[in-house]
Amino acid sequence: MAVCIAVIAKENYPLYIRSVPTQNELKFHYTVHTSLDVVEEKISAAGKAMADQRELYLGLLYPTEDYKVYGYVTNSKVKFVIVVDSSNTSLRDNEIRSMFRKLHNSFTDVMCNPFYNPGDPVQSKVFEGMVSGMMVQVS
Amino acid sequence: MSVPDYMQCAEDHQTVLVVVQPVGIVPEDQFFRIYKRIASVSQVSVRDSQRQLYIRYRHHYLPENNEWGDFQTHRKVVGLIAVTTCASAKEWPQTSERFHGQKEVFGSTLYDSRLLVFGLQGEIAEQQRTDVAFYPAFDQCPDVEKRVEDFVESIFIVLESKRLDRATDKSGDKIHLLCVPFEKKDFVGLDTDSRHYKKRCQGRMRKHVGDLCLQAGMLQDALVHYHMAVELLRGVNDFLWLGAALEGLCSASVIFHYPGGTAGKTGARKPKQSQPADAGKRHRPGALSANGISADTSTEIGRAKNCLSPEDIIEKYKDAISYYGKYKNAGVIELEACVKAVRVLAIQKRAMEASEFLQNAVYINLGQLSEEEKIQRYSILSELYDLIGFQRKSAFFKRVAAMQCVAPTIPEPGWRACYKLLLETLPGYSLSLDPKDFSKGTHRGWAAVQMRLLHELVYASRRMGNPALSVRHLSFLLQTMLDFVSDQEKKEVTQSLENYTSKCPGGMEVITLPDGLKLPPVPFTKLPIVRSVKLLDLPASLRPHKVKGLLGQNMSTASPFIYSPIIMHNRGEERCKKIDFQWVQGDVCEVQLMVYNPMPFELRVENMGLLTSGVEFESLPAALSLPAESGLYPVTLVGVPRTSGNITVNGYHTSVFGVNSDCLLEGLTNVKTGGCLVEVVPSLPRLQLTTSLPRSEYVSHEELSSRVSLQLFNGETQQLTITLENIGTEDIQSLELTSKMVNTKDKMYGEFLSWDLAEAGSQLPLKPGQSVAVAVGVRVKLDFSGQESLLQELNDDGISVTGLPISSPLRHVLKPRAEKSGGTEGGKTEYSHIKSLEAVLNFKYSGGPGKVEGYYRELSLGVHVDVEPSVFFTRVSTLPATSTRQCHLLLDVFNSTEHEVTVSAKNNQDLVLHASECQRMAIQVDRIDFESLPQREPDPQRYASAKQLEEERLRAQGCQINSKLGLCWTIISFHRPGEASVEGVLNQLVLEHLQLAPLQWDVAVSGKPCDCDVVAQCRVGEAVELEVRLTNRSQGPVGPFALTAIPCQDYQNGVLNHELQDAVTFIGSNTFHIDAVSAGKAVCAGALLFLCTGDFYLNIRFQDDSSSSGGRELPLSWFCLPSVHIKAGPIAAR
Repeated sequence: MAVCIAVIAKENYPLYIRSVPTQNELKFHYTVHTSLDVVEEKISAAGKAMADQRELYLGLLYPTEDYKVYGYVTNSKVKFVIVVDSSNTSLRDNEIRSMFRKLHNSFTDVMCNPFYNPGDPVQSKVFEGMVSGMMVQVS
Repeated sequence: MSVPDYMQCAEDHQTVLVVVQPVGIVPEDQFFRIYKRIASVSQVSVRDSQRQLYIRYRHHYLPENNEWGDFQTHRKVVGLIAVTTCASAKEWPQTSERFHGQKEVFGSTLYDSRLLVFGLQGEIAEQQRTDVAFYPAFDQCPDVEKRVEDFVESIFIVLESKRLDRATDKSGDKIHLLCVPFEKKDFVGLDTDSRHYKKRCQGRMRKHVGDLCLQAGMLQDALVHYHMAVELLRGVNDFLWLGAALEGLCSASVIFHYPGGTAGKTGARKPKQSQPADAGKRHRPGALSANGISADTSTEIGRAKNCLSPEDIIEKYKDAISYYGKYKNAGVIELEACVKAVRVLAIQKRAMEASEFLQNAVYINLGQLSEEEKIQRYSILSELYDLIGFQRKSAFFKRVAAMQCVAPTIPEPGWRACYKLLLETLPGYSLSLDPKDFSKGTHRGWAAVQMRLLHELVYASRRMGNPALSVRHLSFLLQTMLDFVSDQEKKEVTQSLENYTSKCPGGMEVITLPDGLKLPPVPFTKLPIVRSVKLLDLPASLRPHKVKGLLGQNMSTASPFIYSPIIMHNRGEERCKKIDFQWVQGDVCEVQLMVYNPMPFELRVENMGLLTSGVEFESLPAALSLPAESGLYPVTLVGVPRTSGNITVNGYHTSVFGVNSDCLLEGLTNVKTGGCLVEVVPSLPRLQLTTSLPRSEYVSHEELSSRVSLQLFNGETQQLTITLENIGTEDIQSLELTSKMVNTKDKMYGEFLSWDLAEAGSQLPLKPGQSVAVAVGVRVKLDFSGQESLLQELNDDGISVTGLPISSPLRHVLKPRAEKSGGTEGGKTEYSHIKSLEAVLNFKYSGGPGKVEGYYRELSLGVHVDVEPSVFFTRVSTLPATSTRQCHLLLDVFNSTEHEVTVSAKNNQDLVLHASECQRMAIQVDRIDFESLPQREPDPQRYASAKQLEEERLRAQGCQINSKLGLCWTIISFHRPGEASVEGVLNQLVLEHLQLAPLQWDVAVSGKPCDCDVVAQCRVGEAVELEVRLTNRSQGPVGPFALTAIPCQDYQNGVLNHELQDAVTFIGSNTFHIDAVSAGKAVCAGALLFLCTGDFYLNIRFQDDSSSSGGRELPLSWFCLPSVHIKAGPIAAR
């Protein structure tokens, strides 16, 4: 499914980033990093409209030749970015949404850990396992 | 057409293109100076009309692009300005020829041209031509701008005529089909008479007229023409031209909506002098001006309906671009349209849509691009992303552009350009090159991406041939990204850093790049990491002390109160706190740092020293090598303050991997300091102390500069020579010596340490290098007799150590002392308790400037003496001697050593004592007149209580007795002599016995003095005369007192019989009352009658007879009484 999943802090630095083809990790760093421009733009645009009932799911941020980048932002401005392979056409928008929801729930659990210091990189094993589950190829 | 002009924007559609080119040999800088002057005429207000003509200048234009001039007229080169040099008239024809050749290139489209000739001296034979201007030099051409304006006007006239010409074309006429280069072959053999073809021609012409109108400044006309063209072209599905017409429509609308321009370059485009709306009001539509050129008549007519709304502009742009997209050969047009649309969207602040346009632009394939074009394309993408606020995207493309600059396919990689572009990406990756921004806590950012960028910067700067820059970047990488670098990378990075620094050592200077960017220095505060900084006090012997009296003056400033319950909490910087010790100018001072090495390999830190301010400080750098991932490691940095005052330790400097860094403490987090401000006092001299005895390292609680220890027998004296050498640089002007006992549990007799400083003092001031010797006598006199085991023994003896007047000397002598001592032999080890004495000799010395300020130094020498008991006296008693002026002192001497000892007293023969032997020695001593002792005036302050006074008196008496006795011992085998002291064993009774009575008694029996052990003989029944003569030796008179003679008999078994009324009778009274004995003599005379034979003793007793004291006995010491022994014999035969 996903080839890269990233959690980005309010201040736009990565809390967690993991990609499946580990040999080209840097590429995904670049992809996620540049996608933040779009995320920010979308947040600022949506923020003006209605602050309260904002849709957390930002939808497709931008397509590249090989990948599609989806974004999601929590109310506390923590961003989730999921990169999927463009060739994977079977993936519906709804599935992406549910992935984000799962990610959000899992991240909430991480934040609930009293030993987790908000702003530190996420090192939770449970979170890691959940992310791995999402990255597993379904085909 | 293959090369897109990325700088294009919508309003360029209303400009006319003029090419300015050098012809022949023109110095480049001169050409561009002229070009700039020409280009400043970018907007010309055409004479007598409200219309503006905008000119776009290019110094380089592909003729290929010119071929698209019919498609969009702003692409058509309509003017040529040639710049040339011509030194002489002879060269002129040649130059002229070249100019014409140049004109040929754009010949098909040119409206007009000009030639500017520079450097021609003298006249030209040829007649004046309007298109040529001559200037003597490049800087002597004041009317260039004017000429350009004239030129522009001439272009305008041509333009206007063409516009009018085309606009009035009737549809009935045969219209020439305008087409783009790649279409030409498509129309070969096409039916030119078909309706479809005609419409196509009409539509294209409409569009063309629209372009001309726009260029000629008739915005509204242009809009109308574009609208018509769109209608016509849509009907015939001529998509390429439909796109162009739509784009024209968009451009015109943009120009209308955004008169400020969309290029984003402020000042590049002057705002129109008047708003189009206003212009329309002032000039009535259709009004003709004098020269027949009418103002824009259409302004008011169709403004509302013809002009697109901002939203529509984007829609139309989208349409146009999608139409262009149908043609592979129109890629450049499509790309340029995208760029224009993005600029418009940027103005409208619609970043998301703009990014979509850009995304589209990225995928437009322009076929094979040259590397340079790629760079240009990526940089412009970056610029556009930046324009819409997508910093990260912008940085990404800029980085791609930078990488493109040095692509392996490029024969000459542009490292300089690459580096410059990389630097521009820094803000996009939120990376500043100032290490201060990274000092707060853990680094938070896109470490992987940032590290990659830094690596690239390092590499680029190295390839640029600027090792200083690479060193700086690499140090920055190491310093800020240390937490994210793997161990392997750490090794690699440091290795390459060392390689670079071998060519160019890194320093602390700010590197300023040619474009003004400043690279602040990167101090390696993490290599090694410093955890605490502690200033150390000088060693005890070098510490300066303030003279007490002067201290008071300095204390007043802090507070007027001596005590205040309010504690001033200094919440401020702890580092500013002054430390309460001082350093001394010229002496080595130390600062201790706790450091650790975070690297997985050994870290060599060289040239590590202190950074200070306030005082001239000579730092003595240290080099250290820290093991891999060491724990906290103490490092001591030293330095010498060269002047006095307050010194602040600001930080330290290091040299790691060839990079010198100055690490300031204020910039460091997690560093503990106990204050960094210390006072440096002026220089003081230094003394070095050596002793005649070897040094020893016994443990003591005092801080001592050196110590000696020695072992002495009690009573022994040892001479200690102390040599003081001035090893400093200042003269020693004062020297004091004091001593202090450290443990004073044991009672000491006499001075432990004695010295005479007078000789040493006479050698002051002591110059550097000189030395002085001080002799100190060490004398130990301790009381070992008081040990418990001995007391025990004494108690066992059963006899009190007193000399009762009636106790007979024989009794004492008969006491089996030797056996007793033998009995105690088992416990002899108990006597050999070693006592230790400890004292500190303090040398206070001062000199030089420090003395002026009231400072001195102390040098302390600990003297530790283990005292072994030698001989001591277990018991002391007295026996009256035969003379009342003398007495016998009986001393039981015990040799507690393990050696043979001889003991001698004054005028006495030596007594040899074996180990642990006790012997009695009797010494005949003259009684002592204590009153003749120099009585010290009792000082009420010194002796607070009567008890102390008494003790002092006893001590003085003991001293005198001791000196009188002169008891000495010698250990025969070692030849170690010493004194023995009786002071400890003396008691009141013994003292009294030793005292010479103030009254001297002479008793005479039957006229014979009965003093020494003389037995007076008498007979029973005869009266025996008893005469007592008193002599008063004391100053004052003594008395009144009574004298009673009591006879008694000693049965030699300890029983005294006083009941002798039957045996002895007195003739007369046995009691004499004496009022006073004045300084002279008094005599009492009486008589005795013995009734039986026998040995009798007369016990003469005195009583104080004064009424006040009520008959108490006078102190014994007053009356050194002889006992009178009378032997009454049988009655003499008659």
